[in-house]
Amino acid sequence: MKYILLLMLSLSGLIFTNANAEEAAGQKDDAEIREEVMSVKEAVLELNRDLYELERELLSPATTRAAFHLTLNHGEFFEPLAVELSVDGKLELQHLYTERQVKALRMGAVQPLGDLNLAPGKHDVTVIIRGVDHLGQGRELTLTEIVSKTGKPLITELLIVDREELQSARLELKYW
Amino acid sequence: MGYLTRYVVLSLLSVAAMAETTLKPGDMVPDFTMPATNGFGQRLEEARGSFLMVVWLGRCDGCSETLVRYQLLAESLAIEGLKGWFVWTPSGKSEPPNMRLPVLRYEEKWRQSWQFEERPAVMLINADGRLDHLITGDLKENYQETEQVVMRWMSQGRDYQVPE
Repeated sequence: MKYILLLMLSLSGLIFTNANAEEAAGQKDDAEIREEVMSVKEAVLELNRDLYELERELLSPATTRAAFHLTLNHGEFFEPLAVELSVDGKLELQHLYTERQVKALRMGAVQPLGDLNLAPGKHDVTVIIRGVDHLGQGRELTLTEIVSKTGKPLITELLIVDREELQSARLELKYW
Repeated sequence: MGYLTRYVVLSLLSVAAMAETTLKPGDMVPDFTMPATNGFGQRLEEARGSFLMVVWLGRCDGCSETLVRYQLLAESLAIEGLKGWFVWTPSGKSEPPNMRLPVLRYEEKWRQSWQFEERPAVMLINADGRLDHLITGDLKENYQETEQVVMRWMSQGRDYQVPE
């Protein structure tokens, strides 16, 4: 009887240990799976980043990349409401400004208008900025310039500059 | 016969796609930016956090008189966070209404814009950018209903209209 009791006790102990071991193994498996999932996630993110960079390079390679930015110097005599940029007669970029965006430009923000693909050579760039002057009258600033695109990226800034002597503003194109 | 079947299927698909793109209460309203005839352009995303009443005017030639009551409604509830915009679509020699609230000008050439529909409509968009109410039809006839809905909407905060 004593032996049977001992046998039963040892058996139940064995079962309990086994269950514990299984549970521990299960937890270990879970941790491993979690780690694997994390590493897969990281790999996917890395791959996504690589794909994004590849896409950028394919869509806008350095040889054809032309970037346009817009800044506002003071903005006392002109507030932009809309901008349209055409290259060789084709409308390429446009933007509508809100009050908040103009405030940001006034505080020194540089607005990336957009990136274009331009073949090396000369291009006719026309920019029209519609807005209002300090008296609330509608005004239009225009700029037409022949831009030479080389094999390097072309990065430009459209700068709205106040002309205090004339109480108006003009539009300039700067190359970075 | 093959072409006919394809045509029918494509037509059905396009109708289904159009139906899907029609806004209904409970939908998130896609962002837009439109120039205004009386000041700065307005962007929907920038109105997040406020209750917004967008009145699509449909055909309107100097229809200020019809809109005065809508303007008054928006201005009287401005202190409680209601903004009001009118969206006007130029047609021929029509003139925009002369209002104090922003009158947005819909033009196809602006890629940041979209047009709801030709018919007049009032959209009530909550602070999250979701369309809570959509009242379509003649603006003059619908004013009373709009006022009641707006008052209830503003007092309840969020009051999603269950789509039928």
